[in-house]
Amino acid sequence: MDEFALERYFDDSIAKDDFLLEDELGLEGPDASAPPLKVKPAEDLDLSFLPDELSTQDPSHANINDSQTSALNDSHDSGVGLDFNSHASTLATQENPQQGASVSRLGTSAFYPMTPMTPMTPMTPMTPATEKSGIIPQLQNIVSTVNLCCPLDLKFIALQARNAEYNPKRFAAVIMRIREPRTTALIFSSGKMVCTGAKSEEHSRLAARKYARVVQKLGFPARFTDFKIQNMVASCDVCFPIRLEGLVLTHQQFSSYEPELFPGLIYRMVKPRIVLLIFVSGKVVLTGAKERAEIYDAFENIYPILKGFRKQ
Amino acid sequence: MSASVTRCPGCGSSNIVDDDLYCQAQRVCVDCGSVVSEGVLTDDWTGDTEISYSRTTAVARKPCLNLIKGLQRVKAICRILRVNSEIENHSQTYYTQAYQHEAFIRVSLQKKEVLAGCCVLVSCRLLNWPITMGTISCLLDADPVVVGAVYQEMIKILNIKAPVFIINDVMEAHSQEYKISSLHVPEELAENSRDLTKRAVALVELAADTWIVTGRHPTPIMMASIYLSWQSLKPNKHRLKLTLDKFCQMAKVNKLKPAMKRIAEMKEVLCKLGREIPWVREAVTPDNVMQQVEDILNYRFALLRRALRTHEETLQAESEASGEDSLPEEAASSQVSEHGEQHSNAPTAEECELNAGSAQRPRDGNDDPHTEPEGNTGGGESQAPAPNWGKRVLFAPPCVVHPKRRSVERPECKDVTGDEEISDSEIDSYIRTPREAREFALTQKMLSESEKT
Repeated sequence: MDEFALERYFDDSIAKDDFLLEDELGLEGPDASAPPLKVKPAEDLDLSFLPDELSTQDPSHANINDSQTSALNDSHDSGVGLDFNSHASTLATQENPQQGASVSRLGTSAFYPMTPMTPMTPMTPMTPATEKSGIIPQLQNIVSTVNLCCPLDLKFIALQARNAEYNPKRFAAVIMRIREPRTTALIFSSGKMVCTGAKSEEHSRLAARKYARVVQKLGFPARFTDFKIQNMVASCDVCFPIRLEGLVLTHQQFSSYEPELFPGLIYRMVKPRIVLLIFVSGKVVLTGAKERAEIYDAFENIYPILKGFRKQ
Repeated sequence: MSASVTRCPGCGSSNIVDDDLYCQAQRVCVDCGSVVSEGVLTDDWTGDTEISYSRTTAVARKPCLNLIKGLQRVKAICRILRVNSEIENHSQTYYTQAYQHEAFIRVSLQKKEVLAGCCVLVSCRLLNWPITMGTISCLLDADPVVVGAVYQEMIKILNIKAPVFIINDVMEAHSQEYKISSLHVPEELAENSRDLTKRAVALVELAADTWIVTGRHPTPIMMASIYLSWQSLKPNKHRLKLTLDKFCQMAKVNKLKPAMKRIAEMKEVLCKLGREIPWVREAVTPDNVMQQVEDILNYRFALLRRALRTHEETLQAESEASGEDSLPEEAASSQVSEHGEQHSNAPTAEECELNAGSAQRPRDGNDDPHTEPEGNTGGGESQAPAPNWGKRVLFAPPCVVHPKRRSVERPECKDVTGDEEISDSEIDSYIRTPREAREFALTQKMLSESEKT
């Protein structure tokens, strides 16, 4: 009997939504038809499993100018919650208490404060993506390339520069190092240069300019063109152990875990195209990015997987 | 072409015959030998030089000799490993496919042999016949790194989704290698292979639950568990005194160095559980834990729950002082007590097995509520909390509990825009003075000359 009542209720609430979005009128409630759903008030509802979409949809509910009883508010709230409950199982569970707290706050304040029951709290802003997990990957290495646009005499450079080494039998480039930012550059006779070891994009650019300046000072007509970041490597720690055997079973199409070859799991994420090395200690290395945002996105994508995973 | 009646323009005779000279049809007068006509167009094409050798021999072309040899090698490996015929057929199919792929068609013969082994390996994995990569490397007498690289390339090319290696499956096969039945060693040191394997599998499962197995090479773990299982089956002084070295010599296997560390780690886990046994009065140390191993393994799920509960209680007592949020701990401990109430202190081994599934979830969950308070204090933490979470939890991966000492990290670099001014003096510091350059050139010349002589 409850199920039919629930269905009717949902149909009503869906109709109500459309109605509200257009008109902002008070609700003529289906109070009579809505069964008194025995639910706890919204504050106690654990909405932490709800996905992000809920936060984006709540603003639409904020237009409600309703003088309904808090019971209906709460049941509407729970209606929304229950609606999403079916989706929650298909999405990765996000059990972050921080997020849960923010969503439940949204829950209470979304119903615009006309009743004495709901507190007059302002709408909390959407939490930005990086703060959801609370962990920000730290960049460890940036690889960039620059074209100096002039042919170089590597022997001359190796002779005149203090910080250069050149061993043509081993490798056909001069290896030059500077102290600040602490980086290494490979300078080829065609005038192309690879700069590695910087900890941020700006550091990499500054270092590349310094190398170009050194080459200039040595007498070559070097220019600084086509600076491009080719690869970024970052690492972070989620601070809990990870069952790699289980992760490779559930995400077989992306993961490769061979303990006999390498202790970490190699996860090739498709979007964004990043390779993650996940270790049992909870440390994660992300590589293959051309932009910082890709690293952050990749980590935000993997964090719920890892977190949802450890509770199983 | 039959001779049509014509007359030879030279002598007028009508005695003209067809003559094929160099495959060219000619009509020649018999009497005077002059050529009447030549190069007459024929219907059939006798084009000779247009057809290439490979095309003319295509029908009769034999398969590549190395492919045949490779297939025979695949068969030989399968016979050595004594796998069933289905695996053998699969391996041969995969080998043929991979061999002809452009990535493998031109590699060295040695690599092709490694490829043969990898095909067998992947077929075994797909058809549920577990073997380790180490076994294949041994058989091929190849570097495991090379085997690994070829294996990964092969599954990428052939697009195979091979199931992951599970250590429990390989355990049985591995334990067959150890020659410690009563046929090989004196009676008091001998063990029935079935008992040995059963106990070793239980030890490996325990190790897997307590984070000893993940990320580690499986063979030393298997060796450690067989050694401990052998010791615990008859924990008398003689056996306990026998070191791993001597054990491996006796069992005629090669000792693996990491096995020593695994033994220590597993003993530590066993001690932690042994402490929870209610009827053991004295302190459980790595020296006397072997006598308790049988009980520990039989009741390991209950003991794990107890150990975690005790640990939580200790932590709760500590945290009450610091006023930490104990909500996650309460939730976890309530989960644990639920299961604890359902089972008495000494369930039989079978009951334990049945509850393995349900017990595992709260257990894993229990490990982690402790990490929640630390984990969520935000990113960009200094190093201090990070090693802590390993020490606060009862069971954690050893690499977390004993982290490698890193060199002191360099202080955070100042914010940089990338477009700042670059000082000349800094750049000059990287360039040699003319005198320095001269001396350097001189020294280099002297060095290279002395090398030549």
